Amino acid sequence: MSTLTLENTALVADSTCDPPPGYFDRAGMAIVPLRVHFGDETYRDYVDLSSGAFFAKLRESTVHPTTTQPTAADFETCYAELRRDYEHVFSFHLSRLMSGTYDAAVGVAAGMTNVHVYDTRFVSTAITLIIERVRARLEEGVELGELEAYVDRLLANTRLVFQVATLEYLRRGGRIGRASAMVGDVLGIRPILQCRDGELEAYAKVRGERRALDTMAGYLEKHTTADDDIRLALFHAEAPDSLPPLRQRLRAVRPQTRFVLPDATVGAIVGTHSGPGVFAFAMVVE
Amino acid sequence: MSLRDDILHLLDGAQAALEAERDHINDLNVYPVPDGDTGTNLALTLHGLIAEVEGSRATTARTLSKVVARGSLMAARGNSGVILSQVVRGACDVLASRTAFDTGLLKEALDAGCAAAYRAVKQPVEGTMLTVIRAMAEAAGAVSDTAPAASAIAIALDAGATAVEATTEQLDVLRRAGVVDAGGYGLLVIARGLAGALGTEHAQRRAVRTVVGDLAASADVAASRHVAGLPADDEKPSRYRYCTSFLVRGEALDGAGLERFVAAQGDSWLVVGDAGMVKVHVHTDHPGTVLSYASAQGEIDAVEVNDMHEQTRARTRRLTLTPATSAAVAVVAGEGNKALFRELGCDGVVDGGQSMNPSAAQIMAAIEEFSAEQVVVLPNNKNIVLTAEQAATLSGRPAAVVPTLSIPAGLSALVAFDPSRDSAANAAAMEEAATHVRSAEITHAVRDSRIDGTAVRRGQVIGLVDGRLTASGDDLRAVFSAVLQELARGDIEVVTVLTALNGFAVSVADLEAVAGEACPEAEVEFREGGQPLYPILIGAE
Repeated sequence: MSTLTLENTALVADSTCDPPPGYFDRAGMAIVPLRVHFGDETYRDYVDLSSGAFFAKLRESTVHPTTTQPTAADFETCYAELRRDYEHVFSFHLSRLMSGTYDAAVGVAAGMTNVHVYDTRFVSTAITLIIERVRARLEEGVELGELEAYVDRLLANTRLVFQVATLEYLRRGGRIGRASAMVGDVLGIRPILQCRDGELEAYAKVRGERRALDTMAGYLEKHTTADDDIRLALFHAEAPDSLPPLRQRLRAVRPQTRFVLPDATVGAIVGTHSGPGVFAFAMVVE
Repeated sequence: MSLRDDILHLLDGAQAALEAERDHINDLNVYPVPDGDTGTNLALTLHGLIAEVEGSRATTARTLSKVVARGSLMAARGNSGVILSQVVRGACDVLASRTAFDTGLLKEALDAGCAAAYRAVKQPVEGTMLTVIRAMAEAAGAVSDTAPAASAIAIALDAGATAVEATTEQLDVLRRAGVVDAGGYGLLVIARGLAGALGTEHAQRRAVRTVVGDLAASADVAASRHVAGLPADDEKPSRYRYCTSFLVRGEALDGAGLERFVAAQGDSWLVVGDAGMVKVHVHTDHPGTVLSYASAQGEIDAVEVNDMHEQTRARTRRLTLTPATSAAVAVVAGEGNKALFRELGCDGVVDGGQSMNPSAAQIMAAIEEFSAEQVVVLPNNKNIVLTAEQAATLSGRPAAVVPTLSIPAGLSALVAFDPSRDSAANAAAMEEAATHVRSAEITHAVRDSRIDGTAVRRGQVIGLVDGRLTASGDDLRAVFSAVLQELARGDIEVVTVLTALNGFAVSVADLEAVAGEACPEAEVEFREGGQPLYPILIGAE
């Protein structure tokens, strides 16, 4: 049995993995963009429209954007190209309860060999964090069965928690999941949500940013122990100033936390459904 | 009564029975897709059929049978609706030729309905509507032609009920979800409704077990397995996204050709009808392709395209929605404030506050009004805390009082309220949330006096922070500014200002300008509270 390494295994994600800049600009890494539409204008996430440009458009546009998943052809091209140079492709996607992207990918992979497609049951930078951990295993070299078992464990041990400035965008896009009854948008309430079992759900609501940051630090404390090996990534949508105090609080609670990715920014697709004013972290405990 | 009236009477019976069970049938629906619409589809099919009969002038058995058969085909919605329409059509073919209803005719009609349904479904699956109609037809078939029709009906219905209960074990997807087949159960409900309208006493007797275990748990199982594109099980749940159905009208329609085309576009397809009118139902990812092909064959009508992924999610949400454990009750003065409490999820609002304390009986009535098992009470005034505690003790259900002393404190406590937690857990979280709030109020001095060492004249504006006099004077704006500055000495981030400015020559815009200067760092929100006695109430945290 052959050993999987970075030389013979490629990693793919769709653009809802909201990676740090340049993360996928490496050999054997590819990102398949979803598309965002402002009326008749169509843009590929991150390709034709950066995060900053998207939020500027969102502020100015009179129409609300909509999003569409990649086509089967998009995945076909991507996988076929990678399979020419790589023996295996591992492809990670946002929760199928939020999008049909996984279904499109898995349909294409069914007609190919050695293309392993995962519904991560998460969204945004949590997916890049998962990929980062898979990369680390590939750097060491790993057997196929071992890697598959590792990915399963990884997906089960990942968490994602975030604050939104308003629930309006999640409501409008129908992506609010089990948090549909949540109250927000009055009296400075900051809704804090987590992604669990592939859907968003209410975690807490507090007033003011400081309490939101404290509550997120409390989330880390509640779901880890002082001995856990914690890998964590921070990301935001139009709220860069919230990340330093968040990092500081997380460090205070769990000093051993390793921030394994540069801070990331939400792109056009996730941004369409989250709106601006999001700060978040994804974490994996191993 | 005419034959047409008789038929409408029967159909009304079926419709009433189905409507009573419609939501439950929706919840049972996990196969072929857990999209939770079988009850609705059957109900709309029956509804359309009835409208068709009502709109017709047919009088004879032969013409009325045609109207019923055609009407059900035209109105058929979803898999279950189309299969129902075929049962109806088969039965109508037999009923058309006869006038006297007896056991022999019932047997023939059931047989013909069963045969037509099986003919329509090219790959019949057992554990579905087909199994139920067959069980009924077979059981009736064993009854002697000379037996009374009522007993044949009773026997057929009993066999149908047994067959419905057995479906759970016939399909893996039903067994895993712990439910009976929704379409099969729906068919039985319709048959019972018809029998009930015929005056057959037995019709409603036997209870049918439709759920084994927990329906909410079934939702997660079914949805996680079937939302889309999942590896097919033995029974191949549909992996396509759009449930598409429509009618094609024309002359000499090529039903077989249409069927071949549709079959290549998806699954769960049904193409039924005759050369003049065909009903098409298919689960596909490309409704447009199917429709454009069909529109070249004839005139298309009654097009219905449903996104089953969305329906599946909706069913899961409906069944897994956590029922409320706790309700919140608050004592509040002022229309705006009451609306705000309701907006934040407060179930019961009792009118009252400073100088108009509600009685324990009033609070108790509010506690006992809600279906939630437990209640949290927010008195929002120090004179009401005791009354609220008394009401909580006297009430028949677990009630916890969070001793909030002001409306702003009550609002902050309410933000932490979560109806899915019990009252003790809520009370702890809400008390904690309320400790972060500093409350202030601005009012008029009712007489000349010294308060906290300061001389105050009757009628002057006074500002109190946490109950202590902080500012006084004749200008509301100046007092408001002083109060905010006092609050801003603490580390505040969010400020809520509840106003009742009637009789003051001051607008909310004026106050906003004051706030912008007094605490520029804070997020300040103004709401029209409408409380008596206090032109301004403030919460800061």
